[in-house]
Amino acid sequence: MVNATKGLLITCDIPMAQFIINLNNSLPASQKFIIHILDGTHLFVQPHMAEMIRSAVAEFRDQNSYEKPA
Amino acid sequence: MGHGEKGRPSKKLKAAKEDDKTKFVDDEDAYYVGEADDDHRYGEKEGKKVDYSKLELKPDHSNRPLWACADGRIFLETFSSLYKQAYDFLIAIAEPVCRPESMHEYNLTPHSLYAAVSVGLETETIISVLNKLSKTKLPKEMIDFIHASTANYGKVKLVLKKNKYFIESPFAEVLKTLLRDEVIFKARIDAEGLHGNDGFTVSKAAGEVGTGHDELLNEAQLAATAEEKETHSFEIDPSQVENVKQRCLPNALNYPMLEEYDFRNDSVNPDLDMELKPHAQPRPYQEKSLSKMFGNGRARSGIIVLPCGAGKSLVGVSAACRIKKSCLCLATNAVSVDQWAFQFRLWSTVREDQICRFTSDSKERFRGNAGVVVTTYNMVAFGGKRSEESEKIIEEIRNREWGLLLMDEVHVVPAHMFRKVISITKSHCKLGLTATLVREDERITDLNFLIGPKLYEANWLDLVKGGFIANVQCAEVWCPMTKEFFAEYLKKENSKKKQALYVMNPNKFRACEFLIRFHEQQRGDKIIVFADNLFALQEYAHKLRKPMIYGATSHAERTKILLAFKTSRDVNTVFLSKVGDNSIDIPEANVIIQISSHAGSRRQEAQRLGRILRAKGKHQDRMAGGKEEYNAFFYSLVSTDTQEMYYSTKRQQFLIDQGYSFKVITSLPPPDTGADLSYSTKDEQIALLGKVLSARDDSVGLEHLEEDADDIALHKARRSMGSMSAFSGANGMVYMEYSTGRNKQGQLKSKPKDPTKRHHLFKRRYG
Repeated sequence: MVNATKGLLITCDIPMAQFIINLNNSLPASQKFIIHILDGTHLFVQPHMAEMIRSAVAEFRDQNSYEKPA
Repeated sequence: MGHGEKGRPSKKLKAAKEDDKTKFVDDEDAYYVGEADDDHRYGEKEGKKVDYSKLELKPDHSNRPLWACADGRIFLETFSSLYKQAYDFLIAIAEPVCRPESMHEYNLTPHSLYAAVSVGLETETIISVLNKLSKTKLPKEMIDFIHASTANYGKVKLVLKKNKYFIESPFAEVLKTLLRDEVIFKARIDAEGLHGNDGFTVSKAAGEVGTGHDELLNEAQLAATAEEKETHSFEIDPSQVENVKQRCLPNALNYPMLEEYDFRNDSVNPDLDMELKPHAQPRPYQEKSLSKMFGNGRARSGIIVLPCGAGKSLVGVSAACRIKKSCLCLATNAVSVDQWAFQFRLWSTVREDQICRFTSDSKERFRGNAGVVVTTYNMVAFGGKRSEESEKIIEEIRNREWGLLLMDEVHVVPAHMFRKVISITKSHCKLGLTATLVREDERITDLNFLIGPKLYEANWLDLVKGGFIANVQCAEVWCPMTKEFFAEYLKKENSKKKQALYVMNPNKFRACEFLIRFHEQQRGDKIIVFADNLFALQEYAHKLRKPMIYGATSHAERTKILLAFKTSRDVNTVFLSKVGDNSIDIPEANVIIQISSHAGSRRQEAQRLGRILRAKGKHQDRMAGGKEEYNAFFYSLVSTDTQEMYYSTKRQQFLIDQGYSFKVITSLPPPDTGADLSYSTKDEQIALLGKVLSARDDSVGLEHLEEDADDIALHKARRSMGSMSAFSGANGMVYMEYSTGRNKQGQLKSKPKDPTKRHHLFKRRYG
C-alpha cells in the first residue's frame, strides 16, 4: 500500500539543515514540521511551514551580519 | 576662484544628512548643468532628497579636487593632480572618515577645526583655500560653521609655570566669562589678597612696573608673552585641569585652550644635551608630523597618528631632541619600555646615564638635573603601596616639571587609570602617539582635552605606495561549520561554549593547517597565529606541534621562543594569545593567521595587522609592479553562519576606512588536497567535538590579562550584545552581583528603622 504525503522539499547547505532541524526540535510535538530528514542537505517538511522557516532563517542570518551604522 | 561670493542658496543642502546615497550625482549631470552658469536660484522646495544635479560648478572644476557639502562633509578625489596638497590641507582641518583608493571622505567638526587653528591656520585661510580647492562654491552653511567654530580660538592659554597652572588671556572679559562657569570657578585657586581687576593677576609689558607681590611671576610671564601688552591670568587647581579644559572645548564654553610651550625661552628648566644622530633620517611624513608640532617655534600638545611600523618612535625621539628638556616617556608595558629606551639610544646622542627605565624590575635613576625617564602607565598611576625605592622615584616624577610627556599607544589613555597619569605628571607639552585612534566605547574624543588635538594623521595607502610600510593582502577565509559542530552550536545548553565551538570548527583547523603549510613550505614565510581563546590556542599548538606564548608563559620562555622564531630555520610559526597584540616585537613575521579574536574590537584587528606592517626586503621590490608587490598576508579565519561573521565584519571596519579591502576565500583547503591534513575523518572530528564539549566552561573562555585596560569597556559592549563571555561567569560577575545586591538590600532595610524601636543596647550608640 503506497502512502502519499503532500509536503515541501527543502534543499540547503549543511549548517542550515542543522538549523532547521534544531528549530524543529525546539517546538512541542504537536508543532513539529519535519516529515523526514532525507540527508545532510535535504529535508521534507509540511507544506504550510515555508514562510515560518524562511523568516526564522532570515532572523538568524541578520543576527550574524554586521551593518555599519550610518 | 574668479567667482564672486554668489552665496549658495542656503536651502538645499540642509537635508543632506538624510541622503548619503545621492551625494554623488553622476558627474555627467553635474557637468551638464555647470554650463548653465547663470545666476540660477532654486531652492524653495523643501524635501528630504537633495538634488545636487543643479549644483553650479566652477568653469575649471575638473582641475579642482574637492566636493564640499553643507553638512560639513568633504569628498576628495585622490586621482587629482592637486591631491597631495589638498590632502595635507584637509587632514589639518577635517576628520578623515573613510579613505579608500580613489575617493576620500572627510568631516568638518568643531574639534577638527580647533586642531586646525591650533596648528596655526587662520579662519580666513581655511575658507579661502577650501574655496580654491572646491569644485563648487562653498556652501554658506560651511562658511558660517567655520567662522563659528574658530571665532574664539587662541583667546585663552593654559600655561604651566613653576609647577602651577595658570589660565592666561589678553582679554579680561574672556576670563570673566570663563569664571562664570561653575566648574572653572571651583577649580580656581585664589591668590592671597585681592589685586585690582577682579583678582586677576595682571602682568604688564616690559618697561612698566609690575605691581604687587607677583613680580617674580611677571618676569617669566613676560618672556612668553612679550608681544602682548597686558595679560590677565588666574591660577587653577592642578587636579582640575582636565575638567577645566573640557569645559572650554567647543561643545561647552567654546574657548578652546591653547597649550604651547616656548621651550627655547624656558630658562627655568635645565636643558638636556641631546641631538639626533646623523644616521636618523626622518621620512617625509615624519618630518611633516613634526612640523605640525613645532610649527611656530613652540611645541604644541597633540596626537600624531601613524600606522604601526611606520616609525612612531623616531617621531617621538626627534620631538624630544628638539625640545631638549627632561622627557617622560610612557609605554604600555615593560617590554616596550625596554624598546623605547633602546630607541632613544639608537637615534639620539643622549648619554647612557641620562636615560633610565622605571619598571617593577629595573628602578634606575638618572644623575644630573635633566634626563629621559621611560616608564609604564601602570607604574605612574598605581595607587597602592609602593616599595620605598619606587616611592622616591615617583615622588621625583611628580615634583618635576617635564618638558615633554611622550605617550605611546595613546588610545589606551582614556581608560580611567590612565587619565590619572596626566593629572599626576606636570608637563609643558604632551605628545601622544598611536596607530589606531578608535575605541569601542567612543571615548576617543576625551583625548581632545586630555592631550590635545590631533596634529597629523598619515594615510595608510600613501605610505604603502611609498614603500614605507608593507603592502598587505587581507583575506577573510570562510570556513563552513561541520554538521556535528553546528548542531551543538545551536543547542541552547551550549550557549557558553559557542565561541569554543566555532573556533574549534574542524574546517577552520584544516584551513589554518593548510595555510601554515603553504606559507612555510612554498614561500618560506614566518607566520604568527593569533588566538584569543586559550583552549583553542593550546589545542591548535599541540596538534600542530608549534610553540605558543600566552599570558602565563614566563619571560625566559618567551624570550627563548621568540629568539628561535627569529633565528632558526626550523621554527617558522608561533602561536600567540592576545599578549602578542601590541607589545611583542617580531619584525621577521610577514604572515598572520587569526583564528579567534576579541569580539568586535576594531583596534585589535588593526594592531594585529600592525605586527606585519614593517616593510621588509628591498625598497624597489616593494613598489607597485615590483616582484614582491604583496609581501605580507593577513588571514582571518571565520566560521560561517555563526556570531563570528558579525564580529569579523565589525572588526574590519577600521581597516576598510583606511582603504584596505578584504578578499573573501571560500574553499580552503582546496578539495583536491586535504586528505593529509588533520581531522579529515568524521571520527576524528567527533572526538574533537567531545573534547570541546567536555571542557569546563571557564577554560573555553577568553584569556584575561591584567594590563588589558580597554577590557572593561569591551566587556560592557559585549554584554549588551549578549555574547557568550558575558554569560560565562568567568569574569566573576555572578559572584559580584550576588554580594553587592545583598549588601545594598541590607542597608536599605536598616535605614528607615524607627529609632524608638531600637534595642536599648544600641540606642546610645545611634542616639
